[in-house]
Amino acid sequence: MDNPYRPDLMRIVGVRDETPDVRTLELDFLDREAAREFSTAWGPGQFGHFTVWGAGECVFTIANAPPLRPAGGDVRIECTFRAIGKVTNALRGLASGEIIGFRGPYGNTFPVADWKGRDLMFIGGGIGMAALRSPIQYVLDRRAEFGQIVILNGARTASDLVYREEMWEWQKKDGVRVVRTVDPGGETPEWDGEVGLLPHVFERLALGPDGRAVVVCGPPVMLHFMFLSLEKLGYSPQQVVTTLENKMKCGIGLCGRCNIGPFFVCRDGPVVTWAQMQTMPKDM
Amino acid sequence: MDSAATPLAQAVDASASAWQPHIIAFVCHWCTYAGADMAGTTRRIYPPNVRILRFPCTGRMSPLFILRAFEQGADGVLVSGCHPGDCHYVQGNYFARRRFAVFRALLEFLGVDPRRLQFSWVSASEGVKWARVVEEVTQGVRDAGPISPWGRVQDHGRLALVRFASPADQAGRRPGEDERAPVLAELRRAASELLSSGRISRLIGYGESSLPGKIVPVFLDNVADASVLAWTDGCSANLAAYLPAAMRSGKVGIIVKSCDSKAVVGLLQENQIRREDVVLIGVPCTGVRVNGRLASKCFNCDGQVSPLCDLSAGGARPAAAAMGVQVAVPPDVRDADVGYIESLPLLDRWNFWQNQFARCLRCYACRAVCPLCYCETCIAEKHRPQWISTSIDGKGNTAWNVVRAFHLAGRCIGCDECSRVCPANIRLDLLNRRLAIEVERRFGYRAGQDAVASPPLASFRQDDSEEFIR
Amino acid sequence: MSAQTPRGWWLTERELREWFQQLIADGTKLVGPVDEDDLRIFRQVTSADSISLAAGKTQWSPKEFLLPRSEPLYAYTFEDGAPRLRDPEPLLADQAIVGVRPCDAAGLARLDSVFLSGTRDPHYQRRRDRTTVVSLSCVDATPDCFCTAAGGTPHGEEGADAILIPLAGRWLLRSITPKGAGLLARQRHAWPESTAEHDVAAENQRRRVEESMRRSPVMPEWPALLDRAFDLPVWQHLGERCMSCSICSYVCPSCSCFDMQDEGNPWCGSLCRSWDSCTFGLFTRHASGHNPRPTQVERYRQRVLHKFAYFPMERDGRLMCVGCGRCILLCPAGIDIYEAVRAVVEAQRNEVGASERS
Repeated sequence: MDNPYRPDLMRIVGVRDETPDVRTLELDFLDREAAREFSTAWGPGQFGHFTVWGAGECVFTIANAPPLRPAGGDVRIECTFRAIGKVTNALRGLASGEIIGFRGPYGNTFPVADWKGRDLMFIGGGIGMAALRSPIQYVLDRRAEFGQIVILNGARTASDLVYREEMWEWQKKDGVRVVRTVDPGGETPEWDGEVGLLPHVFERLALGPDGRAVVVCGPPVMLHFMFLSLEKLGYSPQQVVTTLENKMKCGIGLCGRCNIGPFFVCRDGPVVTWAQMQTMPKDM
Repeated sequence: MDSAATPLAQAVDASASAWQPHIIAFVCHWCTYAGADMAGTTRRIYPPNVRILRFPCTGRMSPLFILRAFEQGADGVLVSGCHPGDCHYVQGNYFARRRFAVFRALLEFLGVDPRRLQFSWVSASEGVKWARVVEEVTQGVRDAGPISPWGRVQDHGRLALVRFASPADQAGRRPGEDERAPVLAELRRAASELLSSGRISRLIGYGESSLPGKIVPVFLDNVADASVLAWTDGCSANLAAYLPAAMRSGKVGIIVKSCDSKAVVGLLQENQIRREDVVLIGVPCTGVRVNGRLASKCFNCDGQVSPLCDLSAGGARPAAAAMGVQVAVPPDVRDADVGYIESLPLLDRWNFWQNQFARCLRCYACRAVCPLCYCETCIAEKHRPQWISTSIDGKGNTAWNVVRAFHLAGRCIGCDECSRVCPANIRLDLLNRRLAIEVERRFGYRAGQDAVASPPLASFRQDDSEEFIR
Repeated sequence: MSAQTPRGWWLTERELREWFQQLIADGTKLVGPVDEDDLRIFRQVTSADSISLAAGKTQWSPKEFLLPRSEPLYAYTFEDGAPRLRDPEPLLADQAIVGVRPCDAAGLARLDSVFLSGTRDPHYQRRRDRTTVVSLSCVDATPDCFCTAAGGTPHGEEGADAILIPLAGRWLLRSITPKGAGLLARQRHAWPESTAEHDVAAENQRRRVEESMRRSPVMPEWPALLDRAFDLPVWQHLGERCMSCSICSYVCPSCSCFDMQDEGNPWCGSLCRSWDSCTFGLFTRHASGHNPRPTQVERYRQRVLHKFAYFPMERDGRLMCVGCGRCILLCPAGIDIYEAVRAVVEAQRNEVGASERS
């Protein structure tokens, strides 16, 4: 049976704590054929379903980009998750070497082809950065194809900031600017980044809309104010993309719960333009 | 899903040739666990069929744990704790005693052999008693034999009893039943007055539906709507189910029959509504019909407007006798059905209920229409841990129906709405009634009578009967 | 079908029952309406005599024989610390579902378009492949029936492989698909063929039943109107009485939403799919607690729009409702989906009218 619900087996080969409750896992396919099949379909922005047997499935974005040159059939994927529910807590309880299930990749990808030659800005709030990591890796791997890159990473407090180490690596690349910010009150004495809500920090940067593509990800309330700021600075809804998140079970357009109007997040998303979002009913 | 897959059941299978009962013992940390320890240190020999699970207190024992043990293939369950008066937490075992008494009655009604579910008080010094209890319980379970698989249906419909023995079938029309027009006029007048005066912002009443003869709940927000109000023998719904949510947005008026007013009492008792925020419009009732038959709940109801009501739509409250209702009511007509089930051998009872539960679609309409099922998050929706399987199969359905009934023990006011709306015609009314009988028999308590009384399973008496406890 | 294929067969009650019994004897899992506890529901039967083909519809549709209330999608066990995953066991028998009302057969066709287009669901497909549907035309309509308003008829053939039409104490049996022809291949030579007169009588019956239905058709422009009506206040009034049970979804012939949960423990168990409903708050609630549809008003709107706007807009105007009327009949709050649709359409028209006037 070609069973779309039966996951592939993956071994946890790396565990990294981003914050006290956010963790990144590195996963290798046990089966090379499964890995090959996966990599033919994989693009930045897609998501997958991760299984901890006995607890269930949960849905995360695949937090890394397909490698520029596949290393001989070995495919490694990463996911970054916050331990918040039954499955994520069970997943957090697993150690390196243990085996979990994975099915995917599902959904569409970021419009990376449209970004060629343009300046890019990535704005991530909290764990929303997880969705941005794969396009960021993708464009950094192909640095020459894109213009200036600004990465704006915000969190509630300094300890909630994800990808802290990686940001230094990103920063080192030519023409890449990383701005870190925490909400007022979230800073520590050692904090050397910005202080302020993401929309405010974004406005302070005063980067105009010309020739720039923007990717913004974060909680609904942050998106709401971010869009107001983008509008204020003259950005058009077509040049901004984001990713949608809804409760999902099947991931393949059948179980019927992730829809926003006729738009099924798993099938038609998760990547949408701000313009598309404006046409959707307020059912999110 | 399959019981054969569980470790316990596998263990049972492995020893099937020489069957040994598997018994789970839930014991309290302070007394029985120490007592069992004492039995061990004093080298008492007792049957090895018991697996001990230690708990802080019998008061922590939820019937969910017992259900889960049976579901997983245990042949018997023993719950043991401190003697009354010895509880480390002062009162835990007193509360537990009431719960066990009622839960035990429920399981027996479902056809679970009472030898499979036993209780004892064993103190830290009673190693000898522990050995004896285990011996007796093991023998009892051995005599009862291997448990029939939980949630497996055998022979659909063999014992599918069709509304058996219900005198509701024989009832003709009752005096006064045709004189609804004055009541309706009064209802409409009262509704208009309350809405126009601003005393309430919404009225919950009955109205005609798109289907001929079918009456549905209606919400009235302005005076002009009053004409949609209806009052017929189809007004079965217990509108109190809407109260807790409706009252979040202002003062509400609600039409209540005698049975409905008991639900309001329950809601007041459990602090779910504020009396000053609701206007109760009592309506004298001559009974409602379900599928053309007088509802069983109506037989021992005098239909009188409850003294709790603010208004009465029917002028003077009618004397019960004038309505042709026998006031010396008990036994409840449902008791005939309950009695019939209790007259069946345990296995037939079990098969009857398993057949009923197998039909359950898990639509949760029983919960939705129940005025006393108001929890923000139902136990069926909690999944850490998942006590009630979401699978719509024998096991999950049995767990759901047992837990639903038990959560309403001592609280259900017997409006039978769950049973009426159940698309699978499961006799939930009988489960509820059986528990109501047990609660009344043991604790002298009837739900929905007194808004300041302590709910029976949230209280205890030191001299509560404990004849079922070893 | 070739020109020689008869238009149908003219069976006695006894021939019909013998056919059913023969199917059972041949190893087919025979499913039909059975009367049990004041209910008529679909059950697998071991005797053709227990099937009830009397007027009226079953309490719920036979969809559970294609989309079981709960089914394992795969099973897992841990052996020596490594997980082993197994697909469900193969199905052992063909099944024939007989006595399916045309609305229910059309409902199965709706499930087909969910599960067999786009990503195909192999669990559904394997059952569907081995299922033959013999429908049963209606001799009357109850006040809740509105198949004619939803694009069907009391003799509709959509989703059916063969159809039984009761006429004057006998049965007119027509095969519709090769599968249907296959089901009656063994017996049909023994049966008298039906005549043109039977067809006329059947047609008259259809017309008579159709004329007894009062609800006017859902118009082709309604889905688009409804889709634009998302923000209208009328939803509040329609949805607030909903008590958030799922009777409507579970008795519905076309509702297909499901939940997936692990059943078992960390060592062995299965990923289990169960029916689920958009009327439940948990349906869309995120782990974070955020819920896009926090009250029954948003949830009821989703139910109506999915059936009457989103689905038809995507699938050539076909509604995700077949007009069986069960949800209207059984809803504890007496909500009438057809009336709800009409109310929203009217509200939307008024809205459009008002904005054009201003």
